[in-house]
Amino acid sequence: MNAVEIRNLSKNFGAKQALKGLNMTVPQGAIYGFIGENGSGKSTTEKIICGLIHESGGSVKLFGRPHTDGDLRAKVGVLIESPGCYPNYSVWNNMKLQAANLGIKNADAEIVKTLKMVRMEGAAGNKYKNCSLGMKQRVGIAMALLGNPTLLVLDEPINGLDADGMRIMREVLVDLAQNHGVTVVVSSHVLSELEKVATHYGIVRGGKMLCEMTAEELEASCRTYTALQTREMSRTKMLLGCKYSRVEEDEAGYIRVYDMVPAEEIVTYLYEHGILVSEIKTDKIGLEEYYIDLMKEGR
Amino acid sequence: MASTRQLRFESPSFAKRIKGMLGVDFYRLFHTPMFYIFLLIAALIPAMILGTSGMEDPQTGMATPALYTNTWNIIAADTPLYVVSEIGEYANMNMVFIFGGIMVSIFIGHDYKSGYVKQLFTTHAKKQDYMISKTLVSAFAMVGMCVTYLIGSIVAGLLTGASFDVSIGSLLCAILGKMIMSLGWASLYTFLNVIFRRYFGISIASSFFFGTGILIIGAAAILGNSSILNIFLYGSSVYACLSANLLTVLTCLVCSVVWAVVYNVLGTFVLSRCDVY
Repeated sequence: MNAVEIRNLSKNFGAKQALKGLNMTVPQGAIYGFIGENGSGKSTTEKIICGLIHESGGSVKLFGRPHTDGDLRAKVGVLIESPGCYPNYSVWNNMKLQAANLGIKNADAEIVKTLKMVRMEGAAGNKYKNCSLGMKQRVGIAMALLGNPTLLVLDEPINGLDADGMRIMREVLVDLAQNHGVTVVVSSHVLSELEKVATHYGIVRGGKMLCEMTAEELEASCRTYTALQTREMSRTKMLLGCKYSRVEEDEAGYIRVYDMVPAEEIVTYLYEHGILVSEIKTDKIGLEEYYIDLMKEGR
Repeated sequence: MASTRQLRFESPSFAKRIKGMLGVDFYRLFHTPMFYIFLLIAALIPAMILGTSGMEDPQTGMATPALYTNTWNIIAADTPLYVVSEIGEYANMNMVFIFGGIMVSIFIGHDYKSGYVKQLFTTHAKKQDYMISKTLVSAFAMVGMCVTYLIGSIVAGLLTGASFDVSIGSLLCAILGKMIMSLGWASLYTFLNVIFRRYFGISIASSFFFGTGILIIGAAAILGNSSILNIFLYGSSVYACLSANLLTVLTCLVCSVVWAVVYNVLGTFVLSRCDVY
């Protein structure tokens, strides 16, 4: 059974069509990286999943049931845009409210456990408004985790998190998915972080799903390249450009050859033209580059 | 691939759902200074009314005629006065409903302003739970304001030496009637806040506007002191006066409950059809 199954979803805000027949399938227990440009429809889709806004057309099913089914709602944890907390209440009081909202019996113990998960147990007494942006995000995640959710919908959860916060976040998500079978739908612009945890991806553009794939499929789709440096970079680039079909210079100052050729062949070719290679390595493009390429292709 | 688990979704009963919602709302009510501030305001209103009534006019040096010689007139008029000839006559326990409207607007408005509704409506799909809970908690808060208003009136009456002569039965019926009307008023304000949920200022202004009963006062100017006005919240609130009896209480109960149901149904409809956040 899929945790989320969306078919032909559309949403209009007045004359503006935010979603245009979007399809989405999130298998149970997956960490689904939901990727797209600003305004592509990620947040709108997530809000519809959470029941905060109504779809104009199409269907949304969560665990085989209509997403409007009240019974499964208590098992959906959310962090959409920013945590929904009362600024003048302490972190603890905000958590208490959410616990009461969910009807959690042993609330105090549950709150302590959840705050520990996001390393916020020491800041429980702080007023929410006095928390830093990163701390607020952690509180939001803790609130989403209350009540042992079956589905977590997180919109930009690592916004404002420092390196340590991101690491904690990764650990929490992986633990929830692998050890507790929680399904996570997470959107983020920090693709390098998403790549470390996601098992599935959905790339959305202009209100439509461009493609969905597993992490393995992405791995297979990501092209291998050979990156090298010489003392005569511009001449090297020109020479390689004459011999191979796709040669580019990256931001780190390496020349990349995307053709599937052995590194030895490139070294020998350049040596024959009087150029010594100072550094050479083979690598694969990551999610970020794959995504950028995909976006370029679409334009 | 991650492991999957056997899923089981509970179907919480209405009682359990509403208990959770009420738990949240009462927790918020008792943990917000605003509630206590409004209780204090309600207690101070009668003191201000009685204190300023009969004061010396600073320009003429003459004492103005006392508006209230009987303490209980601060609670309610002697007879139902739908049309008031002087603004002072308007000042009685019905003012609680005006201030109560502002309090309810702030109380509910903060749900949207802080974004807390995201948590609320994600976990609670049933919108009528929200309407019922907000209405009941707001009504409770307004009843609280009625109580502090009553205490404030007695203290003010004692300090100014105003008369306490009254028919106890009618007084109790009047107070009870007004407290019952809190439910209807609370449902109106909850509904208005649902309608104007994205506009905090407008929801406060609209609550104040309807709370003054200006529309019914306008209608009364045409219809006169007609009992037909009792079908409206303001009409029944006025009807609960110092000549009230059990029929008055019953009228207030019917009016309050009927409007509460109407506004709750309308509010639920709006929330179910519109985007909540």
